[in-house]
Amino acid sequence: MTTTTRIDAPLKVTGRARYGSDHNLPGMLHGYVVTSTIANGEIVAMDVAAAQAAPGVVAVWSPFDPLTLRTPSTPILGDTWVPLQDRSVTHHGQPVAFVVAETYEQARDASALVEVTYDERPARTSLADNLDLAEEAPPGLDGEPSTQVVLADGVESIDDALAGSPVVVEGRYSTPTQNHAAMEPHSAVAHWDADGLTVYSGNQGAFVQQADLAAALDVDPSAVHTVNPFVGGAFGGKGRTSVPAFLAAAASRALGRPVKAALSREQVFTATANRPETLQEITLGADRDGTLIGVRHDSWCSADTDRSFVEPTSAASRVAYRTPNLAVSQKVVPLHIPRTTFMRAPGEAPGSFALESAMDELAVALDMDPIELRLRNGSLGPAGSDLQWSSKYLDDCYRIGAERFGWSRRTPTGTRDGDWLVGMGTATAVFPALRFPTTTEITLRADDTALVSVGGSDPGTGLLTVMALLGAEALDVGTERITPRLGLSAYPPGGMSGGSTATASVGSAIVAAASAVLEELQSLASAPGAPFAGQDVTYADGRVLGGGRSMTFGELLSALGRDAISAVGSSGPGEELTKHSFSSFGAQFCEVRVHRWTGEARVSRMLGVFDAGRIVNDQAARSQLRGGMIWGVSAALHEGLEIEGDGRLANGDLAGYLLPVNADIPEVDVHFVQHPDTLHNPVGARGIGEIGVVGMAAAVANAVYNATGVRVRHTPITIEDLLDGLPE
Amino acid sequence: MQSFELTAPTSVDDAVAGAGTYLAGGTTLVDLMKLDVLTPRHVQDINALPLRGIDTADGLRLGALERMSDVARHPGVYPVISGALLQSASQQLRNMASIGGNLMQRSRCSYFRDVTTACNRRDPGSGCPARSGANRMHAVLGTSEACVATHPSDVAVALVALDGQITLASAAGTRMVALRDFYRLPGDTPHVENDLRPGELITEIVVPRLDWAVNSTYVKVRDRQSYEFALCSAAVALDVRDAHVVDARVAVGGVATVPWRLTAVETALRGAPVTEDAFQDAAALAADGAEPLSANGFKVALLRRTVVRALCELTQDEPTGSRG
Repeated sequence: MTTTTRIDAPLKVTGRARYGSDHNLPGMLHGYVVTSTIANGEIVAMDVAAAQAAPGVVAVWSPFDPLTLRTPSTPILGDTWVPLQDRSVTHHGQPVAFVVAETYEQARDASALVEVTYDERPARTSLADNLDLAEEAPPGLDGEPSTQVVLADGVESIDDALAGSPVVVEGRYSTPTQNHAAMEPHSAVAHWDADGLTVYSGNQGAFVQQADLAAALDVDPSAVHTVNPFVGGAFGGKGRTSVPAFLAAAASRALGRPVKAALSREQVFTATANRPETLQEITLGADRDGTLIGVRHDSWCSADTDRSFVEPTSAASRVAYRTPNLAVSQKVVPLHIPRTTFMRAPGEAPGSFALESAMDELAVALDMDPIELRLRNGSLGPAGSDLQWSSKYLDDCYRIGAERFGWSRRTPTGTRDGDWLVGMGTATAVFPALRFPTTTEITLRADDTALVSVGGSDPGTGLLTVMALLGAEALDVGTERITPRLGLSAYPPGGMSGGSTATASVGSAIVAAASAVLEELQSLASAPGAPFAGQDVTYADGRVLGGGRSMTFGELLSALGRDAISAVGSSGPGEELTKHSFSSFGAQFCEVRVHRWTGEARVSRMLGVFDAGRIVNDQAARSQLRGGMIWGVSAALHEGLEIEGDGRLANGDLAGYLLPVNADIPEVDVHFVQHPDTLHNPVGARGIGEIGVVGMAAAVANAVYNATGVRVRHTPITIEDLLDGLPE
Repeated sequence: MQSFELTAPTSVDDAVAGAGTYLAGGTTLVDLMKLDVLTPRHVQDINALPLRGIDTADGLRLGALERMSDVARHPGVYPVISGALLQSASQQLRNMASIGGNLMQRSRCSYFRDVTTACNRRDPGSGCPARSGANRMHAVLGTSEACVATHPSDVAVALVALDGQITLASAAGTRMVALRDFYRLPGDTPHVENDLRPGELITEIVVPRLDWAVNSTYVKVRDRQSYEFALCSAAVALDVRDAHVVDARVAVGGVATVPWRLTAVETALRGAPVTEDAFQDAAALAADGAEPLSANGFKVALLRRTVVRALCELTQDEPTGSRG
């Protein structure tokens, strides 16, 4: 295991890293997005005369005079909505006009002069009140149907299995709409020249943005250049190309000048996309020794009226525990709410809150230690699949975690420290190990350095540093000789930041590219007229060896009169998918203190022990897991968008949408059980970007129960949930 | 934000002779100007005025332009005041925000801050969506049909507990007003938030000497540990002798439309033994007259509990008895 400080850290902490909207071009105009003030209806009229006449205004676009944009579609993301193409309004805060002016202030001030007349219809915004609109969700991205029933031989139905269980718990759980709230608001700078379009904009993969923009603008992808070297946080919220990127690109084409556009913080909450709200009903049936007999998990999630995303929460119950009888279902409820999309651990994060809370309730009903209950029911593979996990050390995670955390000091009714009621909670984290087809280019240069390039992105994950480490390993040279490059559509496609896939995907492609470029190097070395002509050569330690001599690859390239040689290598999921199932695992622990008078719940200790295959960069990996675990605390105690009956967000800014501050977060202990999973990919690394958040909200809720005896089945857990249950 | 004219007077006389909204730390005004909630045509930057100084020789005298962080860390300031300041906002905001400006903070009601909605406080007569909308953070005391927004200041609660006064300057001269009388209940005119007359400027904050207020504390209950407004807060000072309360000051925030003094609780505490039971009996009066809304009913119980907690924490070294 290596520990390497992030290569890009000095640039970021000194302000030298140039993010998308840091680019300023000669003659650049500024665009401001106007958003709707109703949630459902038609735009009847739009008076833009005052805005057009305002100082500095160059153009105003609206559905009555739109910038033409086509709807891009990709296999993973489906259709991506593009603004201003029709007059229907389906949510509050929907982009309805775009004002472009000489300065940002002029565009913003003029946007306030746009008068919109609506034919407003009643809005449906509450998930709980509109369950009658629920629709069966389409199959998940993994192809699994959203409704699945697995029954043991001779069992007629899940109801029979549960009815025959000696111990049964059931509960209804809910989680709110959430926003990624990345530090960098969605923004873009676009300009056109003889080479086509160039767009500077933070995104989860330059090649994804290139494809979206090419489709939207109806130009050849080769004429679209996207630049994305630094991304100020994404978390799934920058997977799709953003409204500012579409509008800036189209406006720049229409006006023949560079255009910059950025969403305000308030607009980020409505004009991008959020994690859906969820409602989940779980029933667990078990034998008196804790062995699960049946699991039922029915889920509903909110969606926009285009049903652009499903939060697959019931899937959590397919992977975490072994049960002879399982029934899961997933429904989606279309509402007049902002669009929905992937957010860190989509499905797993809210799904694990419900399942891991239910497991805690079962442990209470059985009067059994919650860890013992989980270990007794450990899964061997996904329900209904014959393919077992390639590598699973969850038991070790729990054993080590219990020791590190002092779990033996836990009592079934918590402890007391002065006026604070203290409880401990735990939960299992499961997140699938995935990878995507990826191509990487490696260039060996005559100065004995090498470039490793891919079009994906590092939105703070540490991928850039991982590329340097794995590139150095594959080329058998020091890390300081590798220059990793990310975030240009000119680089080979792959390495998208999403699904916790980047290290496995890019790492595997680096192995392939290194092999290809070194083969090329050795063949050049022994070619006629070359320094090792006619000899058998080998490669090690950055040098070509043959005939008792050796040369560095740079010396060899110089001798050959070459500045550099390059090769690409590709890798993707393949035959291994027919042999095993792949997943990362973890055991989450936390200690919560609740004030006996005023009911504040504060996390005082946290530990996560993770089985995620090989860890490439210990320092960055710990930060990733800590960040995920802190997200879990945020979900448990702070975070939730409140959508009012008319569709307005009651707390759609960072004053009202609470995230934890430093004072809310104690030291976060992270430990790895390292078993490289080379059955999954040649590097042996599984993903770590998302598993940190999985289970943590339940661990907090379970600790709150342990401290207070109050079971809260929703997040965030706030003071009013606990006040009535506290001693006086 | 709309364009505005900015001037920077260098004397109080010039400032009060001029026209326009006063700008000190800017942590409220600029924020609300960005949201178009406030659209002053003329702004006077008063930071050059000689309104500084922290004098603890006889009670407390604070120049209105003293920064929150400077007041908070001054050793002679009563604990309830420094505690209220240190639990306000963030360090960065406390470094910018003036103590006078803090008392002039505007409502944090999300409807007040959103110009696309109705709000009687921002746009008189337009209505109050909070009464039937998202009102978890709103007031249960001192409300009216027209407005249910809480007063956001922490230090104002501490100052009201200690009978703080403010000095107001205008072209007509200066006058002193008790802070408790300065703030107005919303009634039918929530847009009139205080007793400030046109052109008047807060120049000084005065707290009368109260020696036993060295035994004081500010308890703030909120949804996160820092950088968040109160769900409920309590400013408490106690004069305790022989395990009995001789005198008490109690005011609460986060639950009322203005900083809310609890004189009935103070009366009940006088002569009471220093026990949890006695504190609970006194605190039972704290929420008298409360009118909860759809989502803030918990504040009634929280208010009583917060007062008990503050009293307990202030007397922790005294013998206490528990009934629960």
